[in-house]
Amino acid sequence: MSQEEKIFERLIQSVIVGDSEEAKKAAQDAINAGIEPWKAITDGLAAGMKVVGDKYEHKEYFLPEVMVAADAMYTGLNLLLPLLKKEITGEREKVVIGVVEGDIHDIGKNIVKAMLTAAGYEVIDVGRDVPTPQFVETATGQKARVIAMSTMMTPTLLSMKDVEQELEKKGLKGEVRTIIGGGTVTDDWRAKIGSDAYGKDAVEAVDKVKILFEEIKVALELAKQKREG
Amino acid sequence: MATREELERPGQVKIIFFPYGKREWFAKGEVTVLEAAQAQGIDLSSLCGGKGTCGKCKVKIEKGIEALGPLTLQELKHVTEEEMKAGYRLACEIKPTTSIVVYVPERSRVGKQRLQTEGLEVPVKSLNPLVKKYFVELPKPTLHDHRSDEDRLLDALYKTHVIPTNQDIDFDVAIDLASTLRNANWKVTTVTWKDKIIDIEPGDTTNRCFGFAVDIGTTKLAGFLMDLNTGKVVSVAARMNPQIPLGEEVMSRLTHQMMKGWEGVQELQKAVVSGINEMIEECCQKAKVKTDEIYELCFVGNTAMQLCFLGIYGRHVAFSPYPPVLRRGTDIRASRLGLKSHPRANAHYVPVIGGFVGADSVADLMAVRMLESNEIIMDIDIGTNTEIAVGNKDLVLMDSCASGPAFEGMQIKHGMRAATGSIERISIDPETLEVHYRTIEDKPPVGLCGSALVDAPAELLKSGIIDLNGRFVAEMAEKTNRVRKGPDGWEFVVAWQKETATDTDIVITQGDVRELQKAKAAMRTGSEILMKRMGVTEKDITKLYMAGAFGNYIDPENARTIGMYPEVPLEKVVFVGNTAGTGSRMCLISKEERDYAQELSTKVKYLELAADPDFQTEYLNALYFPHKNLDKYPDTVELLRRLGRIK
Repeated sequence: MSQEEKIFERLIQSVIVGDSEEAKKAAQDAINAGIEPWKAITDGLAAGMKVVGDKYEHKEYFLPEVMVAADAMYTGLNLLLPLLKKEITGEREKVVIGVVEGDIHDIGKNIVKAMLTAAGYEVIDVGRDVPTPQFVETATGQKARVIAMSTMMTPTLLSMKDVEQELEKKGLKGEVRTIIGGGTVTDDWRAKIGSDAYGKDAVEAVDKVKILFEEIKVALELAKQKREG
Repeated sequence: MATREELERPGQVKIIFFPYGKREWFAKGEVTVLEAAQAQGIDLSSLCGGKGTCGKCKVKIEKGIEALGPLTLQELKHVTEEEMKAGYRLACEIKPTTSIVVYVPERSRVGKQRLQTEGLEVPVKSLNPLVKKYFVELPKPTLHDHRSDEDRLLDALYKTHVIPTNQDIDFDVAIDLASTLRNANWKVTTVTWKDKIIDIEPGDTTNRCFGFAVDIGTTKLAGFLMDLNTGKVVSVAARMNPQIPLGEEVMSRLTHQMMKGWEGVQELQKAVVSGINEMIEECCQKAKVKTDEIYELCFVGNTAMQLCFLGIYGRHVAFSPYPPVLRRGTDIRASRLGLKSHPRANAHYVPVIGGFVGADSVADLMAVRMLESNEIIMDIDIGTNTEIAVGNKDLVLMDSCASGPAFEGMQIKHGMRAATGSIERISIDPETLEVHYRTIEDKPPVGLCGSALVDAPAELLKSGIIDLNGRFVAEMAEKTNRVRKGPDGWEFVVAWQKETATDTDIVITQGDVRELQKAKAAMRTGSEILMKRMGVTEKDITKLYMAGAFGNYIDPENARTIGMYPEVPLEKVVFVGNTAGTGSRMCLISKEERDYAQELSTKVKYLELAADPDFQTEYLNALYFPHKNLDKYPDTVELLRRLGRIK
């Protein structure tokens, strides 16, 4: 294995086993070896996180292992992210994520955040018990096109509906898309309140967000053609 | 927590049976509800074998009745008009073409659901019910003594029993006071509640004075008919909480209120009262007491149960920071709530503490006398919500953990509530890996209930089939064919199909183990955070009380091995059963205890777990078996080492 390959292997493994120290060292070594930061992230840390996501789906890995792996990933990212050259990678697509108003359970949200980050999105975490208007304001302020909402309880499902209504009121429905998930959330609920997507777990969430951004791209293209044509 | 349900399968319908919580898919339009019940080993009686002739398999259709079509000729022979209106059908005559939810009423069951009402008997400070009966003989009115009937009565009460003459006579009693006194020939018994005369009965009825104490559990109701003269329990009854179809647990019931507004509030209120009235009638029948000889009722239950029972709109309690609406005790005329008792009986709801820690917890603490102890005591009341208290006379901290219904069998592949045929005890030989189990009433196994779901992870851990992370160890598949890859991943066969009453092997899956990890971790975090905030460790705990009906049935060693509670020596663990029921009885028969409950509710400090900064870290640590930090479990570690599970 070449020197470079060894470093990638270490980046991947450090995330899989959740070794933050090793992740930091490997990230630093990657920088020193002149490896492109975005490559170190995509083929290293993020690749490791995807393996973790897989293992989580198969119930081989459980919550603590995922959290610890996420921690390792973030430790590495903290060194690499600031070095990303925007012109090469382009603006990263932005997602606002948070736990809705009235609920404070955020472990699930944190796992989705880690998986989305690994997938290359810029994730703006507004935390938990987030007042409904804040979701929309942050999305517009930060120019994020996707809002991801989570809840673990049943009464707070209504807060998701509130966010949809807020988007309607501000005429942003369609421009800003939503995805919902959590222990009590169902696809049925998504249909009822008019959310754009539902993710049954962190892994599916990433796939659905990808689709949302593609839909947004298409919608923007059509709008552009309409204006010009 | 609601299950993330599959909503559709082509060509199939989903049939859900309450109160068991079992659900399965069947071919659309081809299977009768009775056949579906039998396929899952659900207790539904049938004498004629499904021909529609005995009428014994009546079930109530909670959802999906519209698609069932009109009643068949056979049904029309057995289902009454009232039953029809309420949605009752014969299970053997209906073949669902859409998914439905079916409730099996008590009378259609053969076995009985284990309802675990027994609780500690605690002597009260003094037998002093708020209801008192006094017999008096009044002198007749004469020209020289033309006092009003009212004064005559009050004076006699004072003369004979030294009762102050400022008693209030309830207006409904005053209305025919005159005829009552004269028909009784001036010899009457007054019934007083606090300082109000709520009835006047002819003759001497002082020996007939009863009260009814209730524990309103989220899942189970317990009722106790008490003789207020002796303070003793006369008869006991239990029921599943009829609110369950409106919401399996606390949050979904409050959501029901929110989604349906006042209509939802009324539905929930009426549902629980119907269960309570059934218990009242059953107890009265058994003890040969009339329902209007019940002059006071006392209730305990968590904060959500309080709201649903009293018919109070509780939307905001469901949202962080979960503030209760009413904290102090409530007194309300029982008839206003629809309770079957004396028309002017009082219903008392014991004070709550905070968040979802309600009157049932106050009752628990009263029963174990925590505020009187010099030493540190821990009390754990296990349920869908587990309440934990730590402390002594100087300070008591309390919290509530959403353990979820995993230990009720929800979200567990073959999980179910305790009933005839549930596997309630499991053991696995750590060497031969052979399985022994016991079922309720020794019937062929039908599923796994709570106590078995505590045994299972412990036994799997001890025999090396799962590791400390909770993960199935793949190599074990070579040692026993009970460990195998099923449709949902790794699983362990507890009972082979040929032994069971269902059409399948009864297994416990990797997914089930994960659910149980989450449930026990929630509880364990609750105790860890309390101890941290108190500045104590498990070594300081002199007694650990396990309360709650469920607690009575679990194996304390296995529960400790998986890390459900801190490692306290087993001799210090005391099972006290339904102490909420005990506390309710204590408040019913003693004014001093009732005042004490009031004091308790202000003295106990409620801790909001989710707001605690260490919650998340501790929760993740508690997910491991027995715990991430093995120093906390030296005894358990020693055993696991001996068995070769830890190096």
